[in-house]
Amino acid sequence: MAVADVAHAPIGHIHPPPETFVQKYVFSFDHKVIAVQYFITTGLFFVLAGLLAELMRAQLAGPNNHVLSVTTYNEAYTVHGSAMVWLVIIPVLTGAFGNLVMPLQIGARDVAFPWLNMFSFWLLPPAGIFLFGSFLLGAPEAGWTEYPPISLQEPAGTSMWCVAIFLIGVSSTITGINFLVTIIKMRAPGMTWTRMPLFVWATAVTAFLSFIATANLSAALAALFIERVFNVPFYDPSRGGSPVVWQHVFWFYSHPAVYIMILPAFGIVSEIIPTFARRPIFGYKAIAYSSTAIGLMSFMVWAHHMFTSGLAQWVQLPFMALTMLIAVPTGIKVFSWVATLWAGKIRLASPLLFVLGFLSTFTFGGITGIFLASVPVDIHEHATYFVVAHLHYVLFGGSIFGIFAGLYFWWPKMTGRMLDERLAKLHFWLMFVSFNATFLPMHWIGLFGMPRRVATYDPIYGETNLFISISAFVLGASFIVFAYNALKSAMNGEASGPNPWGARTLEWMIPSPPPYYNFDRIPIVLAGPYDYGQPLPYRDVPPEYLTARPLH
Amino acid sequence: MGVISALGMWGVVVFPIDHFLKEAAQPAGDIDWLFRFMSFFSVPILVYVNGFLIYFAIRYRKRPADSMEAVGSPIHDHHALEAWWTAIPAVLMLALGLLSYRVLPEYYGAQASTVTMEAIGHKWDFEFRYPGLKQSVYNDLYLPVNVPVTMDITSSEVKEEDAVIHSFWVPEFRVKQDMVPGMVVPIHFTPDVVGTYRIICTEFCGLGHSDMWGKVHVVSQSDFDAWFSKQQHQAASAGPSVQLNHGDAAAGQALFQQKCSTCHNAAPFDQKKVGPGLADLFDDPKHPMLVDGKKADPADAAAILEKGYSGVMGTMPNMQANGLSPADIANLIAYLQTLRK
Repeated sequence: MAVADVAHAPIGHIHPPPETFVQKYVFSFDHKVIAVQYFITTGLFFVLAGLLAELMRAQLAGPNNHVLSVTTYNEAYTVHGSAMVWLVIIPVLTGAFGNLVMPLQIGARDVAFPWLNMFSFWLLPPAGIFLFGSFLLGAPEAGWTEYPPISLQEPAGTSMWCVAIFLIGVSSTITGINFLVTIIKMRAPGMTWTRMPLFVWATAVTAFLSFIATANLSAALAALFIERVFNVPFYDPSRGGSPVVWQHVFWFYSHPAVYIMILPAFGIVSEIIPTFARRPIFGYKAIAYSSTAIGLMSFMVWAHHMFTSGLAQWVQLPFMALTMLIAVPTGIKVFSWVATLWAGKIRLASPLLFVLGFLSTFTFGGITGIFLASVPVDIHEHATYFVVAHLHYVLFGGSIFGIFAGLYFWWPKMTGRMLDERLAKLHFWLMFVSFNATFLPMHWIGLFGMPRRVATYDPIYGETNLFISISAFVLGASFIVFAYNALKSAMNGEASGPNPWGARTLEWMIPSPPPYYNFDRIPIVLAGPYDYGQPLPYRDVPPEYLTARPLH
Repeated sequence: MGVISALGMWGVVVFPIDHFLKEAAQPAGDIDWLFRFMSFFSVPILVYVNGFLIYFAIRYRKRPADSMEAVGSPIHDHHALEAWWTAIPAVLMLALGLLSYRVLPEYYGAQASTVTMEAIGHKWDFEFRYPGLKQSVYNDLYLPVNVPVTMDITSSEVKEEDAVIHSFWVPEFRVKQDMVPGMVVPIHFTPDVVGTYRIICTEFCGLGHSDMWGKVHVVSQSDFDAWFSKQQHQAASAGPSVQLNHGDAAAGQALFQQKCSTCHNAAPFDQKKVGPGLADLFDDPKHPMLVDGKKADPADAAAILEKGYSGVMGTMPNMQANGLSPADIANLIAYLQTLRK
């Protein structure tokens, strides 16, 4: 047990904690501080990108509104989409949740490369400045996919967009490598792969995807930037380039990116359900291995975004088949989660409520994904509001519901204080109802002829759009409830204690918020984390933390 | 839950898709059938997942009598159950894949077609070329009913700034194909219900994207022949001459808002949108470069409206593409003259 002996060294022998304000809170190496930095930064971007969405809905409330000019409207949806994908969902799930939870769950004192972790975070604020700053030079207008040749003809803001997304790509790649090394090398003694918490499994697969896939996006962006600034024709068809090349390389990244945006949410769900159902997760290995299967398959389905781009039929068929095949491991996960609720002793606290919302909306989004996988049906639905609806059911109904479930779940660990449960439940119901009211009708108008990315539209869709806009405003307002709740908790929230939910993973075996360097002694892991009713499977955890018991 | 599922499945089978969105061409019926097939099996999945979520959350909730240490069943897995919920979706996916594969050739497979034509996307017009017709038709597509069509779909690449991706979509036909510059993709369909339907661009193509739509008129063979010979006749006669003196400035202003204001401001030259501002068209010394270095007069402006423009200032479509009649041009010129300082 040589490894365990080294890990057992008292922390005084390692590093003294930082003392200056800048070391502590600005250029911190501490994964927990970096996680909070990610939360605050992405939270700010979420508000900005959300406000852009509300502006768009104001424009779309009537068929021929002039709330925004056509150009501003186009800029708004492009920056909204780009910011939500790259500045909010990806960094909050990897940078924020990954940093906050993963090292604690594997019993590590930090990530493998703390300096790189800090560097990776500090690429985010300049990326945000470049992306939102692009409005000054004329923001990109062609949507978050920025297909050339139109993206070659746009004003200088599009070059800023390239730089912003490139920075995020670098950040994402670095974090991927960092997390992979951390998970492979720094698990506490005794934590075998099949004793890892499922959030760590999800983070490992996500890190692998970020590490492998993101470089392709960087290459595509570099080529777009070079073509725009130095006039080297990669994509311009009138000078021998091919616009379809961008689509292939972009989606070769962006389909795995869809899973980068959902797998960590799967991980969050897999932690919350057994905790609140008070019983082992159903099918641990099935969930862990299906995450891996989804991760690998995500590299083989990119062209399903391009069924109307003029691909040959023999290219479309394998992509259709593989896309449909992904439904199988995804179904296994959903059914296993539902089965975990069976015969539990369920505490319907706010994290679980958000997870139930997640399961309901994500299942719907997954099924409309199958509708889009079938080539003939996709040909009709592609680039309509049906796709807008599907995407929001997966990325909002999936990722954002998962993010808020995780926030409510780990908030006490992060801050040492509880959130108000009544406000949390109000937030959930407002968000769940207005989310469905906003995005469900979009399927309808998309199927019946409304294309996406238009500032004005046929008046026959007027009433539905007005309803959608009103719902979208309520949806936006629901987040004010969360902001108020967070503020109230920070001011005078009830102290949470180390383990308010009675969970069994390692992050709950230390005080809240965790001390600098997390573990006095690295614990030794004896079994998997989900055996509710059994004694806790850890050695060297101080006895006061071993009496895991929910607060309420 | 069984009852709700059955009701939902029955609803899917009898739902009148055709009532909300006509099935007006050959692949439409088959695609709607596939859509129904998927909806049919989606309903029970949704009902059972949501139903069990709600049922379990209520049935197995912690009750006040339960102690804080109470836990649920210790069961970790159940292999038979897991095998079922892996196998059933896999079989459904296989079936769906095969059924989708069966429908596909209707778009892409070669078939005997009696009309082969071209569709070309421009900023922001659909151009259609018929065999045997010298000039193109813009935005108003005429097709004879029950005649298979092969349409070669592409985008303009005459001028670099005109070359962008558009998409040709007729919702009532369930037909969509991106118009990619440098690529020609043939698609097949057979319109089978007489009527007028929308053609919509679904790929973002710039400022005019929201307004880029046209109409497809599916007409009887005899109506089609009549329309076609009228087009041929028009092509044979000389281009329309414009009477500039009788324009109506008010009508021109309305037309300007409708047709021109996407690209042009009624403001000084420098306030460009896509093209220059047109407020002082006939006086500003910067404008004459539009017409070969001379100062513009109404006849020059009318010539640009009629023939379009392509040069240092950019590209402007001609009167056919913009859907302007000679009278419209006269009205527009009359309106532009009222904007003089």
